[in-house]
Order: sequence, then structure tokens, then C-alpha cells
Amino acid sequence: MTWQLWQTPSPARRSSIIGLFVLVSLAFVAMPAYAARDEQAETFVNDIASEAIEILGREGFTPQALETKFRALFVGNMDVPRIGVFALGQYARTPTAEQKAEYLTLVEEFIVKVYASRLSDYTDQQFAVLSSQPKGNRGKEVIVSSQIEFTTGRAPVPVEWWLLRTDDGFKVFDVKVLGIWMAQEQRSTFISVIRNNGGNFSALLEHIETQIAQANQDRDVELTEADSAVATETIQ
Amino acid sequence: MNIEFGRNSLRAMIAVFGLAVILSGCATRPDTGDAAAVAAYEEANDPIEPLNRYFFELNNFLDIILLRPAAEIYDGVLPTIAKDGVRNFLDNLRSPVILANDLLQGEWDRAGDTTARFGINTTAGVLGLGDPATGWGYARHGEDFGQTLAVYGVGEGPYFYAPLLGPAPPRDLAGFGVDRFFDPLTYILWDEAYTIPVTRFVVNGIDLRARNLDTLDEIERTSIDYYAAIRSLYRQSRADEIQNGVTDVDALPDISNINFTSDE
Repeated sequence: MTWQLWQTPSPARRSSIIGLFVLVSLAFVAMPAYAARDEQAETFVNDIASEAIEILGREGFTPQALETKFRALFVGNMDVPRIGVFALGQYARTPTAEQKAEYLTLVEEFIVKVYASRLSDYTDQQFAVLSSQPKGNRGKEVIVSSQIEFTTGRAPVPVEWWLLRTDDGFKVFDVKVLGIWMAQEQRSTFISVIRNNGGNFSALLEHIETQIAQANQDRDVELTEADSAVATETIQ
Repeated sequence: MNIEFGRNSLRAMIAVFGLAVILSGCATRPDTGDAAAVAAYEEANDPIEPLNRYFFELNNFLDIILLRPAAEIYDGVLPTIAKDGVRNFLDNLRSPVILANDLLQGEWDRAGDTTARFGINTTAGVLGLGDPATGWGYARHGEDFGQTLAVYGVGEGPYFYAPLLGPAPPRDLAGFGVDRFFDPLTYILWDEAYTIPVTRFVVNGIDLRARNLDTLDEIERTSIDYYAAIRSLYRQSRADEIQNGVTDVDALPDISNINFTSDE
């Protein structure tokens, strides 16, 4: 019986075969797209972004208060140790136990400062999650696409989130803003500093420390300026 | 006169370049026994790093004494509407180059967008000073021959930071040269001083610098190695442009298992 199927199928059978093919191929096309979106991941991203926008939108925060708020948001939701390891490339195997501990403390401080500083450029904004897709075949990583929209008519800024599924929920590994992955950028600079100092790991620690001290100084200057601006206003 | 000047300045540039190469030499290849250093050297793909850093410092110096002050004045004096007019006008002039590269990449829809933009902005946008096309659904996009080469499978090559031009690895430097041929302005017989092309180059530079005053300050302030940060930002934004803004998820490394003892 079956051979007839390949020889001269009747028009009705032929159309049912074609129909089956169409159905099967449709299922293949539609399935991944349907299964790909990860609602939990999208909600997670949306929650973080809403909180960041709320922090940025609230007026009257001193730079210190703003930083404290961001620190809580970042440290709670980002996988800082993993970013730290990634940023070292193969140099990750070189530090001693004490250097590792110091590095992780410094890198957390550094990331909070860099990310908070860069984020603070985006005020007057709205946020929209667009889609999400799985990454890799371990089922552990998800990429969420979103964009920052501006009420001023400025073109939206695309933001991608690289999430990692852990035992206690999602963690952000990296964020891509305007085509730039932040952790990749840190990796390039960290590796460059170590290599240009002949593989000396403590050189990296010193560089990060200097950078943090400089950022603190800038913040305090900003604070003093803000204070004197308020003082001038009060006098007038 | 002008040709003479061109030859002399070319000779001078070659001399400076050659001298700098001899003086600073190439980056020392790391000892093959040092696996981490070898990996770092290869990942940076920057064999003439000392020379590149020298040119980077040179450009930063020129930026401080020349470009930045000019950009600050431009930014402070012109109202936003005038600055946008300048940007729109320059973008519109670039349409033929973008169109040629859209077509060479087989991006027919984007080629259509570029053509529509040029038509709309040259007429309704008053010689390209306005950009009504974006509002009508034809958003701006950039293309250049460096990107076209990348689409054809040409790699970026080792990093090169050129005096004045900035980051220009071989592929993109070649692209920059080839794009001149797609530009109708190249074929107009200009006066001896090339007033209009030179003005366009200078104004374009000042406008771009003015648009990035805060961004570049921010990057310099938040990087532990400004040179390496710019190198990474250049490569990443080029990769993003080549992909037309779409993230290639498969090209990203697997980070689900990295730790202090892993090899990634």
C-alpha cells in the first residue's frame, strides 16, 4: 500500500501530504519563536529597570544617597563575582587568595560607581522590554532585549540584558547599551593593565583603587558645588 | 602648488610614521611559557600597541588644544536647532556612500530607506537641513565600505590607531579610502584649497566631538585604561554596526561555568 504514496498519489492525498508538510514546517518555524520568550526573565528585567528609573527620577537625592540606592540594586541583582572573574580572562588563575578577596571587594565598588555614573545620564525616560531568547544549550542563560524611550523625541536606546539563571533566581551578568557590553569593556581594560605591568596582579588592584578614590573625590566636589548652589539660592 | 603641498605632507607623514615605528618598535611578544600573557596578547590583537598609544596621546593632545575648545565653542554658541541642521545636512550629503554600501551588501530594504530619505530630506527637508524622513518611518542608518568588507567576511585585522583619524584597523582604513570613490563630491573640480571638502571634514569632526563631549569625559573618568577602553568600545560598536544592531547570541562566550580556576 505504502509504495502508492510515492508513485501517483491522488490529488486529495497529495494535498493532504502537502498540508502535512506545511503543518510540520510551520510547527518548526513557530515553535522556537513561541517557546523562546522567557516571561520570568522579562519580568525580572522590567522590575530592575523600573526601580532604577524610580531612583533616577526622585529628586533631592545627594550623590551619596543615590549611590547607596544603586549599590543595593546592583549588588542584589548582578552576579558581581562572575563579572569579576570574566574581566580577568586567563589572568583569573594568577592572584593569591588574599588578592582574590581584595579584588572582589574592589571590583564591586568599581562596578557600582561606573554603572551608576553611566546610568545617571538617562533621565526623562521610559522603559520597554521587547523580547527575550535563550542563549547556549545549558538552559542557564537568557538574553532580554529592551529599549529606553525618551519623551524628548530622541531616538530610543537599545539595551540588551544577559541573564544567568541561578538557584536563587536570575542574576544580571552583563548589559549592552548602544552596542557596548559593559563587562567586555572592563575585561579589555583589566587585562590590558595586568599585561602592561608584566603580569603583576597588584598593579590592577592599585589602578582600581585609584579610580575609586578619584570617583569619590569627584562625587564630593559635586556635592560641595550642589551645597553652595543651594546656599546661593537661599541668600538670594 | 597644491600637489606639491600634498606630496610634501605625505612625505612628512611617512617620515614621522617611519621614525615612530623605529623608535617605539612593536609590542614585545610575551614569553610562550606564560599562557595568560599569550592569551592577553592575542585577545588584544594590537601588535603595534606602543606606537598606537603614542598616536593616541598625540590625538589627545591635539584634542585638548584644538578640537575640544572648538567643539565647546560650537556647542555653546549654536542653538540646538542649528546644530541639528548641520548634522542633518552632513548626514544627507553622505547618502550616496550609504546607498552604495547598502546595495553592495544586498540590503535592498535599507537601500530603499536611504533613497527615500535622500529624496524626502533634500526636498521637504530643505536641502537636507531638516530630517522629516525619520518621522515618516525612514529612520537613519549608517553604512560604510569597512562594514561591507566585514559582511563579505573580511576580518578587522590588527588594531591601528591613526593620527587625526583615530581607530582605523586595516579593514576600516581601506573602507574609508574606498568610500571616497562612492562620494559624488570627490568628482567635482574644486578650487586649489579644496575649501568645501576640507570644511566638510572639519565641521563634521567638530560636530561629532561636540556631540560626545560628555560621553568621552565619562569614559575617560570611569576607565582604568582609557586607551584600552576606547579600543574595546571601537571594536564593539563596529561589530554592532556590522550586525545592524542585532545581537549575535551564538557569538557570545559561555559564562555559566567560569570561576577563578577555569580557562575562560
